[in-house]
Amino acid sequence: MPRLDITVEICGMAGDGTIAAGGLLNEAVSLGGLFVLAFDSYPAEIRGFGRCVTRARIGETPRIALEEPTHVLISLDDEQSLSRVPSLASNSVVFFDNRPPSYIPEARSLAAHLGHPTILYGMPMADLAAGAAGTTRGKNLTALGGFAAVFGIPPVLFQRVISKKFQSKGDKVLEANLKSFDAGYEYAQKEFSERLSAPFPFPEAASEGETVLTSGNQAIGQGALDAGLQLYFGYPITPATPIMEFLAQTLPAQGGRVTQMEDEISSIGAVLGACFAGRRAMTATSGPGFALMTELITHGVMSETPAVIVNAQRGGPSTGLPTKTEQSDLHAAVFGGPGDSGRIVVAPTSVAECYSYTLKSFQWAERYQIPVIVLTDFYLDNRVESISPLKPDADAAEDRTLLPDPDAKGPYERFKITESGISPRAFPGMEGFVFKATGLEHTEAGLPSYTPENHTKMSEKRHRKLLSALADLPEPEEFGPEGSLDVGVIGWGSTFGSVLEAVESALERGLKAGALKVTSLFPYHANHIRRFMHRCRAVLVPELNFEGQLADLIGHLHHRDVVRLNRVTGQPIPPTAILKRIEELIGAEAE
Amino acid sequence: MKEEHYVVVGNGPAGNEAATTLRDKAPSARITLIGREHRMCYRPKLLPAYLSGTIEEEGLYALPLEHYQEKDIKLRLGQRVVGLIPDRKELVLDHKEIVPFTGLILAVGGTPRIPENLHIFRELMFTLKTVSDAKRWMKHLREVEHVLMIGGDLTSFAVTQALLDMGKRVAFVLNEESFRPLRSSPEIYEEAAHVLKARGVEVIEGRRVRGMSRLGQDSIEVMVEDKRISTQMVGAFFGLVPDVGFLVRSGLHIESGVLVDETLHTGSEGIYAAGDCAQVYHPALRDYWVSIGHDNAANLGRIAAQNLLGEQIEVRVPAESIFQVDGIKVNTSWWKEF
Amino acid sequence: MRSHRQNVGTPAVSQEVYSEDPADFFYMKVNVPCQSACPALTNVPAYIRALFEDDPDGSYEINRSANILPGVLGRICSRPCEDQCRHGEPELGEPVGICHLKRVAADRRSRKESAPAKLPYSGKRVAVVGAGPAGLAASHDLATVGFEVTLFDAFPEPGGMLTYGIPAFRLPRSMLREEIERILDLGIILKAGVTIGKDIPMERLLSEYDAVLATLGCYGSRRVGVPGEDLPGVISGLEFMMDVSRGRPPRLGKKSLVLGAGFTAFDCARSALRLGTDEASICIRRTEEDFKVTKDEVFQAKLEGVKILPLLVSQRILGDTAVEGVEFVRTRPGAPGPDGRRSFEPIEGSEFVIPADTVLVAVGQESLSLEAPGERDSKGLPVVDRETFRGTVPGLYFAGDYVTGPGTVIGAIAAGRAAAERIARDLTGNIFRRKSIRMREASITDRNRTWDYIHRNEMPTVNPPESRLVHYETEVETGLRPDQAAEESKRCYLCYLHYEIDMTRCIYCRYCIDSAPRDCIKLVDEVLLNEAGAVAGFKETTVWRDVNAVVIDNSRCIRCGECVRVCPVDCISVTRVELVERMGEEAAR
Repeated sequence: MPRLDITVEICGMAGDGTIAAGGLLNEAVSLGGLFVLAFDSYPAEIRGFGRCVTRARIGETPRIALEEPTHVLISLDDEQSLSRVPSLASNSVVFFDNRPPSYIPEARSLAAHLGHPTILYGMPMADLAAGAAGTTRGKNLTALGGFAAVFGIPPVLFQRVISKKFQSKGDKVLEANLKSFDAGYEYAQKEFSERLSAPFPFPEAASEGETVLTSGNQAIGQGALDAGLQLYFGYPITPATPIMEFLAQTLPAQGGRVTQMEDEISSIGAVLGACFAGRRAMTATSGPGFALMTELITHGVMSETPAVIVNAQRGGPSTGLPTKTEQSDLHAAVFGGPGDSGRIVVAPTSVAECYSYTLKSFQWAERYQIPVIVLTDFYLDNRVESISPLKPDADAAEDRTLLPDPDAKGPYERFKITESGISPRAFPGMEGFVFKATGLEHTEAGLPSYTPENHTKMSEKRHRKLLSALADLPEPEEFGPEGSLDVGVIGWGSTFGSVLEAVESALERGLKAGALKVTSLFPYHANHIRRFMHRCRAVLVPELNFEGQLADLIGHLHHRDVVRLNRVTGQPIPPTAILKRIEELIGAEAE
Repeated sequence: MKEEHYVVVGNGPAGNEAATTLRDKAPSARITLIGREHRMCYRPKLLPAYLSGTIEEEGLYALPLEHYQEKDIKLRLGQRVVGLIPDRKELVLDHKEIVPFTGLILAVGGTPRIPENLHIFRELMFTLKTVSDAKRWMKHLREVEHVLMIGGDLTSFAVTQALLDMGKRVAFVLNEESFRPLRSSPEIYEEAAHVLKARGVEVIEGRRVRGMSRLGQDSIEVMVEDKRISTQMVGAFFGLVPDVGFLVRSGLHIESGVLVDETLHTGSEGIYAAGDCAQVYHPALRDYWVSIGHDNAANLGRIAAQNLLGEQIEVRVPAESIFQVDGIKVNTSWWKEF
Repeated sequence: MRSHRQNVGTPAVSQEVYSEDPADFFYMKVNVPCQSACPALTNVPAYIRALFEDDPDGSYEINRSANILPGVLGRICSRPCEDQCRHGEPELGEPVGICHLKRVAADRRSRKESAPAKLPYSGKRVAVVGAGPAGLAASHDLATVGFEVTLFDAFPEPGGMLTYGIPAFRLPRSMLREEIERILDLGIILKAGVTIGKDIPMERLLSEYDAVLATLGCYGSRRVGVPGEDLPGVISGLEFMMDVSRGRPPRLGKKSLVLGAGFTAFDCARSALRLGTDEASICIRRTEEDFKVTKDEVFQAKLEGVKILPLLVSQRILGDTAVEGVEFVRTRPGAPGPDGRRSFEPIEGSEFVIPADTVLVAVGQESLSLEAPGERDSKGLPVVDRETFRGTVPGLYFAGDYVTGPGTVIGAIAAGRAAAERIARDLTGNIFRRKSIRMREASITDRNRTWDYIHRNEMPTVNPPESRLVHYETEVETGLRPDQAAEESKRCYLCYLHYEIDMTRCIYCRYCIDSAPRDCIKLVDEVLLNEAGAVAGFKETTVWRDVNAVVIDNSRCIRCGECVRVCPVDCISVTRVELVERMGEEAAR
């Protein structure tokens, strides 16, 4: 029997409780021992007129990408759900409210767009909620009740996660939500009694899940905490805000501080100041805020001050598409700002990596005395994944700063030229070490100097430091068979999960394909990447941007043009789309 | 030009025959077939055999999914029609959807009838019209040894045989309510009683059921006139009534079915009825009749479809063959089959 | 309404305000469907609310002030209100048991009520001829506004059809007498057993009284008009019912056929089964769908054993010395008539016979001619102006079924009351009762949304059905039990509450729409007004920039109050809007 691997989608209008229902669903099935990868999409406006969709891939094995088609659709608003019809599997299961507020013409009816063999479960979601709890607002929970009954998921799993979510809101609210869920469950048990054998049988709930559901943003926050973060400065912006929210709840308890600044410029300024003084500090922002920070980031480069900056990308340019995902800040992260201002840019590809990369970033930043940019995107920040409980490395909080030799003779030179490019670093106020710091080009002693020789020497020093860092940064990872490949797919960030799934599917079909995961985007492991490229007849680089920013960055390493697969739909790229391109490329090569 | 949209309500033999005929004669029209049950079209006649385990569930189904794909018929199952507005040519579905049509064929079939005086005992009785009903029977039959049949329509005799085949003990209350939709006659009555007794069925003759009560999990007491009969399960077979509640106040006329003329036309433009829900006057009987059985239904479905598309075919059934059930003559010979 | 029209957004009414603006009457018609559907304009939400608050006396009085005979109507009213009840709209379930609750109020009242308020004697005397529902209602209204009323009736008992037509198993006589007594107690002089036009000439009444109101009802039985109608065993349905009511039931055969499809046909068939016939069948030309009686009545009749034989029409009544059977032909629907209703035509050559030994003819009733001065129409009946109830002789008025043909009890009561007001105005030049719209500040109720899902409480009846047939007087319906009545009274949405969003304070957050039970709160571009200035509709929009207002469509609103509870700026006001009758000084003002 094939192991369960389905995509469940909840779709509604803003205000229907779509995202909340998705969260509960994910938590409940995760509690039952299943693996979840989920991602929501919602309108940008705080009280928007718009479609909310939460998609979850649920299975018996861990998954790393959302996939199409959708097997189960829970519609909280049929008109909004109409657009989801093309992405439904032919034998999909659809839950819908069969007592909508008004009559709907056939042309706009969800049910009318779904014929046999789609299995329809019509239930009076809003009426059941109103009948049980006195308000229609629990209709998302009655829908979940129906879902649980049809798929044979023990209601207690839902009841537990509902209790957890609502217990802080008082007994009345909690009771209303539980009653709504129960009403949906009981209704479905009774009305669908003969149709409870859905086409996608869920396994008997395993022993309690070993995994925890964690979002990318939570993992980043936890990574920073476990790294011994002391100070967080930030200004809210989607999709980075949850990091600040998480830290606001956790960091003070650990003795740290979270400060909301007046804007992003002051945020990065405060981070640099804290780090200059030897504290661990961080900020997180998205494209528009990151753009404001770039001048001061290059100040960090020039003054060789460590800092950790999370850039959670969203659709741009400018305010752009605040609640849609995109990977279009790569160039800004790598090159943004004045001057030859090389800095470290890393891009995790999964929730677990969000944790481990954030955790490590502080040490990289300290060791190489440089700002480190953790580049994520909406799809990675807001997705939840079932992962093993996060555990820090034993030495995660350890300061890796190369300190000056206390016995050294002569005046201390803060920017001393060394082979590695790393100068021993003293902190302000450290006894016996007086130093000067500036954003102007400077001598080893920190005094301004604009001589051709000095600027050349210092630029070389800062560049050497990056090369030293490269050895410390994660190497690209290769997946797939050794030897020559028909197609090699290079993926980065949130897109890599889809790349890997596509390559796995291609291999299952007997195609010679491989994948390369690149997480160190600057500096990057050119030799390694080149080696991989040279094994491939065609190199495919799927990215969620229009221009192909990674392809631009590393494409020159190959002796043929790399093939770009660019999407700017604001939505994740499904593995099937990459697989299709792989097949096309192999077909074209064969001709 | 406005797109033609033909809607057929009812996923039985009449409805399917109508939809297929419409497709064959109107290649470019949009055709929607709406069925109340979630199941594909099946043969209700086989339900007793399914009940006794003689055939598997798969054997019940009449048409594969490919048929609808090939004929480009949109199959909408599990959707209930709750209203019809003939003037606007719109159907209202239970989930508050309005479906416009240019032509409509009503082939909704029947639903089990329960006489008024037994209404309050509905929960205690089993009826058999759908696969779901059959599944309920099968589940319950595992627990019981004795079944009391009351009413006695055409299905009841096949069910009785199925129960006997399963080794159950059967009692049968035979009275004038039996034989629906046929009128009882002394000959039919005598023969039925005779055949049932010969099969080992306890026949309780000419008595009216007054009431029943549950004494325990599998124990029901039925009051037949002044006599009390203990049984474990009660099967109610009082014939079918057309499932046309949604037509009330629509402007169409309903009695034991939708009243139609000889061309199956309801009198409202573009609306026809066929199968078990169409009620037609027959001159030789001087009475209205309702079709029963698969072949009749399919035949009527075809004629309704042809007439909807402009033909004027009259339903002409010889009086003596009206009381035929799937080719077996009702008045005397069909008992032999039992 | 003028004072706070939907798109104006004035604050809630802070005190009691009365209006006679046509726009406000239009509002009532659209938004309080039960009260508008009642010919007597009974304030349904108010009396159900009173009952919910455990005040049966108050509930009864609200009823009585509009419909005079709540105990009677609570049993046998034709219930036009329930057909219009918002709870009965397709997606909302079953209508509230408005009629059954009326009976609860009547049955449970303390009977300690004081006599109705009476205006001082005006010096005018009015004769009312016919003590049926119309005559009783008119007498009541005239007596309460200061007229001396003398009520004549040809029968020994007052009540008209209530007493002589409707069977006791549907309308117990003790209760009926009690309610009639209460009317007569207003000082009305009853002269029973006196036939005007025979015992006393109409001219004499006209000369002795300032006005005469004739509410004579419809006591003529229509004939089928087929051969054999005069055979022994063929009985007029109306006469049969009257004889039964007088305690002189005729002997019936074993097999009775009832011709007709109205209340009388059902009363005949059900009475026949109680009086010893073995089989009673109602023969109708059309189908059950066309019955004018309630569904429940049909069900109860069938339960008792009445059979319905549809799609046939009698051709001849057969028999040599007495009825032996009826020859029928089948009918079929024909072409639609001018009213859109299709006639049912006989099918040629479809003759067949149903054996029977009793035939009860209940094919209709009509008004009988009257010895009285004035012009006559083609049927020989007095010419009456239906607006003013005036005949062609000064001082002579007509009302009720006598004018309109057989109608409903509630219709007759409403007509009697309207005629009384007309007479009172004609005689004095004063207005005594005046309809106005009363608006009062209100708050959302304690109604819980879960109450909207309570199923209609069905009327308990005497069972098994055989036991009803033993004693003719056994009332079939036993009345809602107290627990049922409490539950049923929770079901009323209280449509007299008017919800409105103050657009000057609304922040367009749309929380109300999220919590709305149906499409009752709308985003609109424009509010459409009719000529009277009342809200007649909305131009809705889904384009955000076109949204000019968030409005509550009170014709869709089920008064659940959710919007008020979720509104973050408290900009939704509730007003209690009722159509009331003001009497005496208040009315004159």
